[in-house]
Order: sequence, then C-alpha cells, then structure tokens
Amino acid sequence: MENTPSDLGLAARVTHLGKTYGSSSTAVTALDDVSIGIRRGQFTAIMGPSGSGKSTLMHIMAGLDTATSGRAWLGDTEITGLADAALTVLRRRRIGFIFQAFNLVPTLDVRGNILLPFALDGRKPSTTESTWIDQLIESLGLTDRLTHRPHELSGGQQQRVAIARALATRPELVFADEPTGNLDSRTGREVLTLLKAASIGYGQSIAMVTHDPVAAAYADRILFLADGRVVEDREKSSAEEISGIMLGMEQRA
Amino acid sequence: MSARTRARRNDHAGRGASVLVAALASAFGVVLLEVTSVMTTVLNAWGVTDMGSVRITLTIVAALFIAIAVYVSAIVTTNTVATIIAGRTRTIALMRLIGSSARAQRRAVATDGLAVGAIGAVAGAVAGILLGFVGLQILVATDVLPDLAYSLIQPVLAVPVIVVVVSTWAAAWAGSRRVLSVSPMQAVGAAEERSVEEVTRRPRRARIAILMMGSGVLLLLAGVAVGQASPLGVLIGVVGGILSFSGLVLGSHLIMPPVLALVGRVLGSSAPARLAAANAQRHPERSARATIGLVIGVTLITMFAVAGSTMEVIMQRTMEDPEARAGISESVSVTLAVISVLVGFSALIAAVGMVNNLAQSVLQRSREIGLLRALGFTAVQVRWMILAESLQMAAAAVAFGLVLGVFYGWAAAEALFGWSVEGSGIVAPAVPWLLVVLCVVGTVLLAVVASLVPARRAVSVAPVTALAAV
Repeated sequence: MENTPSDLGLAARVTHLGKTYGSSSTAVTALDDVSIGIRRGQFTAIMGPSGSGKSTLMHIMAGLDTATSGRAWLGDTEITGLADAALTVLRRRRIGFIFQAFNLVPTLDVRGNILLPFALDGRKPSTTESTWIDQLIESLGLTDRLTHRPHELSGGQQQRVAIARALATRPELVFADEPTGNLDSRTGREVLTLLKAASIGYGQSIAMVTHDPVAAAYADRILFLADGRVVEDREKSSAEEISGIMLGMEQRA
Repeated sequence: MSARTRARRNDHAGRGASVLVAALASAFGVVLLEVTSVMTTVLNAWGVTDMGSVRITLTIVAALFIAIAVYVSAIVTTNTVATIIAGRTRTIALMRLIGSSARAQRRAVATDGLAVGAIGAVAGAVAGILLGFVGLQILVATDVLPDLAYSLIQPVLAVPVIVVVVSTWAAAWAGSRRVLSVSPMQAVGAAEERSVEEVTRRPRRARIAILMMGSGVLLLLAGVAVGQASPLGVLIGVVGGILSFSGLVLGSHLIMPPVLALVGRVLGSSAPARLAAANAQRHPERSARATIGLVIGVTLITMFAVAGSTMEVIMQRTMEDPEARAGISESVSVTLAVISVLVGFSALIAAVGMVNNLAQSVLQRSREIGLLRALGFTAVQVRWMILAESLQMAAAAVAFGLVLGVFYGWAAAEALFGWSVEGSGIVAPAVPWLLVVLCVVGTVLLAVVASLVPARRAVSVAPVTALAAV
C-alpha cells in the first residue's frame, strides 16, 4: 500500500517524471526520471541553469503542461491524465501563480486583479475570505492602490499585487517563476522577504523556480536540477554555498 | 509559437483583410457601372428619348454609392494598418535601433499598402466583370432582359479600380502615422500598446469634431424648419447632415467608447463579460475605428428606410384615393430595397473590418489570454469572453447607427417634402419594423461569425504562454 502524498506531509509530488519534446529523431529530453516532493508549509526553491528542465517541471506540477511519463499529484489528487477543464478548475481553486512578468490583467484595477480567482469561479469572497484579503492588502501595503491600473504601478508594486492574488484563495501551493527576474535587486529582496513571510506566518507552501542564488537563499530547501535530473537536495543554504554548488555543476558539465 | 512567428502571422492576417476589402470595393464599383451600362442599353432599346440625362442620372447615382463603399473601405484599411503597426512596434523599434529612419519604415508600410490595393482592386475587378457577365447571361436566358448588344467591358470600369488603389495607398499612409512615434528604445524595453490616455488626448481634433457636430445639427434642424415652407430647406439640411456626420466620424474616438460602455453593461457581470467590456474599451481609437464603418453603413440604410417611410406618411396625409396610396407605397418599397442592397454592401465591407480588428486584437493578446488560462479561466469562459467582445462591438455599432439613421432620415423627409404637402405639420419618424428586425438579426449573426476564428485562436493559447520571459 502506497502512502498518499499528504500522509508524507507533501503539498505536491512527482514520481519518475519524464518529458521529451519533438519527434524521435530530433527529440529533446527536458526531464529524465525526476521524483521529488514539495513539503507542506515550506518555501522550496527549484534551481538550475537555463535548459535544466526546472521550468518544465514547474509547468507539469502546476497542471500547465503534460508529462510524457511518470505521475504527478497536487495534494492527494493525481493530476496526470486530468482533462483540461478539470485542470483549469484545479488551478483556479488550489494553486496560486506568480510570474516573472506580465502578471496582471491590464484592464482590471488592483482590487479586480486580486479578486480575479473568485470572479473566475463566479462567486464573491466569503466573510472570512474578505477579512483575509483585507489583511493581505494591508500587509502588502496596497491599501492606497486598490483603484489603480497595473500600468500606474511600479514593477515591485505590480509583483506585490500578484502575490496578493496568489495568496487570496489560500491555495495549497503557490508557484513562483523567477518572481524577481524583472526587478531591481532591492525590490527583488522585498518580494522574496514577503514570500518568506507568507511561508512562515501563514504556513503557505511555495515552490519557486529561479537561477539566482541570492533568491534561492531565502528558501527553506533547495532542489538543484541539471540536464533534466535532480542532482542535489539541500536544506537552507547561504547564497555563497548555493553559488558554489551551481559552479560545481557547471564544471562537471 | 515565438513572438516573431506570431507577429508575422498577424501581418498576414491583416494584409489578407485589406486585400479582401479592396477587392470588395472594386468589384462593387465594377458591377454597379456594368448595371448602369446595361440599364442604359435597355432603356435605349425601349425608345426612351432624352438618353443623355438618363445616363447622367444613373452614373451619378452609381458614383454616389461607389463613393460610399470606397470611403468605408478606406476607413477599414486605415484601421487595419494602424492595428498591424501597433502589434509590430517592437520590430519597427528594432529596425530603428539598427539605423533605419522612421520615414523609410513608414514608406515601407505605404508601399505595402499600394501593392495590397493593386492586387485587391484588380482581383475585385476581374471578379466583378465575371459576375456581371454570368449574371447578364442568366437574365437574358430567363427572358428577364431582352437579348441586346450589351457592352460590359468599357474604359470607365478602370475608374473604380484606380480609385480603390489610390484610396488603399492613402489609407495605408494615414494608418502608418504611428510609425513615426516609435522610439528605438522600445526595442530594448518591454513595449506594450500605447495607453488609453496617450491615444485619446487630442484636444484640437475633439474641438473641431464638436464644432462640426454642433453646427451641423443646428443646420439640420434649420433645414427641417425651412423645409416646412420652402423647397430650399433640403439644401440647408444636406449641408447640416454632411457636416454633423463628418464631425461624428472625426470624433468617433470620443463617442464610441461611452456607447460601447453602455452596451457592455447589458452583457452582465460575470468575469468573462466584465473583461470583454473592458477589452472593447481599452484602446478607444481602435474600437472606434473598428466600429465606425459599421455605424456609417447602418446609419445610411436606416436613413433611407426612415426617410422613405416618413415621406410616405407625409404624402398620404393629403391623399384620399386608396389606389394612389398603394402606388406610392409600392414605389417607395422598391426604391428602398434597391438602396438597402447598395448601401448594405458598404456595411459588409465594414463588417470585414470589424472581424479583422477582433482577430488582430486576440493575436496581440496571447500573453494575457495565457495568463487568464493559467489562473483558471476555462476554454468555455475564454470563448464567451471573445463572443461578448464581438457582441458588444456589433451591438454598439448597429444600435448607434439605428438611432442616427432614424434622426437623419426623419430630418431628410421633413426637409424634402414638408413644404410640398399643405398643412402636414411635423410628423413623427416612421421606422419600418422589418429594418429593426433585420438589424437585430444582423448584429447577432455578425457577432457570432466575427468571434468564431478569434475564439478558436484564443482557446488554443497555451497557459504556459504567460509564463515565458518577455
């Protein structure tokens, strides 16, 4: 009898995951027998150089892409083989997203963007949810910005709106794809501090894809990918240690 | 699909629409001139004397409707070119960055327009001549027309072809104005479309538009008043009509967004409907250009229909003889049917423009649609969003055109015939119910057809698109 992912304290899990692009003659292997679990309540960083497969891994775990082989779960729900409609509802209700750029819908104001997951579900937030959202808006310093459009905000402010939106439904897992990629280093640190605070303060599970050692140093655990395989699994590390590991991977390649 | 392939496909789609628009306008012109020639030949054979004035009258009528079609197609082409350029900003900026001048970039767009106009106009003319030939054969074979020596191919057919080529070229030139404002820096940064505020801030244009509309409406009302007593009223009215309507077209970027907003509110408050409403208004100039052609078409059709029916009401007030009444009724409805078909063609050209605008806008919004899909928008919701957008544009254009047409038609009837009937007084505008039904059916049909291809494209956008780096 197999243990369910939640028995193991996992928010998400993949086993023997493989992904190849293209036909047999020109096939490119993006993922090769990857098995990992994202622990509940932790801030996990997925690191690796360009082309290591880290983005593909995230896309499959988030139900945005399909695997060629292997299985994936979100909580206790196996998502491999789910139809598009089911995956869509799953993303809407159980997953939060923060992207590198183009995070917000330009025609909606800040409040509209934060409440978008509820609007997509065709419902209004309940009283408890509203209290939670107000608290988020307050702690992210967005109270004065609620009626602003995305183009009236700085990059850092836009990313804070995206964080508020991602946390608004209290999803089981938040995926962040290079969330500091388009920000200057000071604003980037602010965003990372906010993500860390969400993990510590609210027990929010977060999986962040990045190639920046400074960003990964904010995480509780760091998974290293190279050539579509997991090559290292470290607990909290300093930016120097992470850089060292990355450099070692480069030299071995 | 890379951004570059997307941009290229975008350009192709836009160019295809422009060729189609040029072809439709040119074919329409050729067929109309052929019909004029056939009618002249037939009337001549019937022994109508005074052929000179008949020919002139028919040619003037044909020229009027060809001018309307060319005008609408020029607006559509300007819009298409401007939309393509908005989507190609980064490429243009890159060319500027590596040293191409803005003028050279703009000239390339205009030259492209010349080629598109030439291909479309010639293809349309060939299609028009074939259509005229086949149509004539059928009409003669079924004894509708006598078997005479018709000459379909005449030098005059070159006129619509040349007019369409020149107008498409000019439209491409006008639409490419934005190329000049693209800065080389936009190739480096993340270039988005210009914001709503930037595009709409045009105080001088707004002032002229308001002045033209205000004075035009005043003249129109003066025409109605004078028309109650003297045949001169119609002259004042025509000036007022042309002035106010030109003002309206010039100021369409100020007028259409509120009309769109009003219609958008009817669509409901679901997330797709609200996003669709916001989308239709995010680029006011663009939505205005996309819809104004249709507004012109519907206004003209409605104007003729309402003018005819209102005129009928005025005339019948003084007629006791039921036979004379029936006679008027019949001739009015035949004339209206012919005019509706002629103007309807311009409305068709405008519809092509609207369809293309929606398709382009979806192509340019792939990232945003990807974001919505990633956040949990189902394919059905995306489809409904695009349909709602299409419905909003079509309904706003048709409803607005209907209102304008009723006013213009009523004013025309009063100014033209008010004086001829003693003591008829001012009558209420008569609106043929068939017209309203046709407009509603046409709106829904157009909206659904316009949304089919863009919706399929939107649904095929992978959610991963939103996650890709800029």
